Amino acid sequence: MPAHSRDTPSAYPWTEKVLPTHLEAIREAEPDVLARLEDMGYDEDSRFAVRLALEEALVNAMKHGNRMDPDRRVRLAYRVAPDRMEIRISDEGEGFNPVCVPDPTTDENLQRPCGRGIMLMRSYMDCVQYSCCGKEVYMLKYRTPPGGRTTP
Amino acid sequence: MRIQMREDRDCQVAAVIGSADVEASAALKEALLGAIEAGATRIVCDLSRTDFICSDALGVLITAYLKARMRGGFVRLAGPQDHLRDVLQTTRLDHLFDVYLDVGGAVTGRRS
Repeated sequence: MPAHSRDTPSAYPWTEKVLPTHLEAIREAEPDVLARLEDMGYDEDSRFAVRLALEEALVNAMKHGNRMDPDRRVRLAYRVAPDRMEIRISDEGEGFNPVCVPDPTTDENLQRPCGRGIMLMRSYMDCVQYSCCGKEVYMLKYRTPPGGRTTP
Repeated sequence: MRIQMREDRDCQVAAVIGSADVEASAALKEALLGAIEAGATRIVCDLSRTDFICSDALGVLITAYLKARMRGGFVRLAGPQDHLRDVLQTTRLDHLFDVYLDVGGAVTGRRS
């Protein structure tokens, strides 16, 4: 999967994990990412934002991508540099068109109990890009500048 | 995450303690919808000790809100801290839910 293999070699290499399609795997994967952020001095706001986006993206990959099929896997890759952190997640589903996801913040959609994941990812990360027909998502978060927040 | 249910005047108060992540959403659903099925219609969700909330848990709150409202009641949110307040504003769910500073305000319906 990893488009990142084309990237220029970095002092901050990607960490890759293959997760089973099981929601428990999310709870097991998140602490490593958050611990890396904390080690690199990312503040609480940034860690909250990344945790939220990571959770939403992994849930989407497992539920909507892999449709909770235990024979399918989710690939997670992340790297943390002093000024930015990046995440790539891919699933083995059929893909989707993110443009077709309705805006959950409009008045007519406000009472819908689902459909907020992608909006939260876009709101809390600085860049969210889908590729491979929606089967892979790349997210980037710049480190919160001192005294300022990049999240809403 | 754990949920503590208690009565306060004529409300059922559900304190959500810890992270309302995707795994915890099932327990949250069971607690809130279970209370409504058991006859409670006036629900206060105490978020003052909730450090994280995902879209699944937000969906549970919305489902509970709709069910309680159908029965003439409400689901009010109390005491969300900065990160949760951000999420409610970002999703515009602060336009759907009545959000109070604390449980006392939510139970009485008075904003301080």
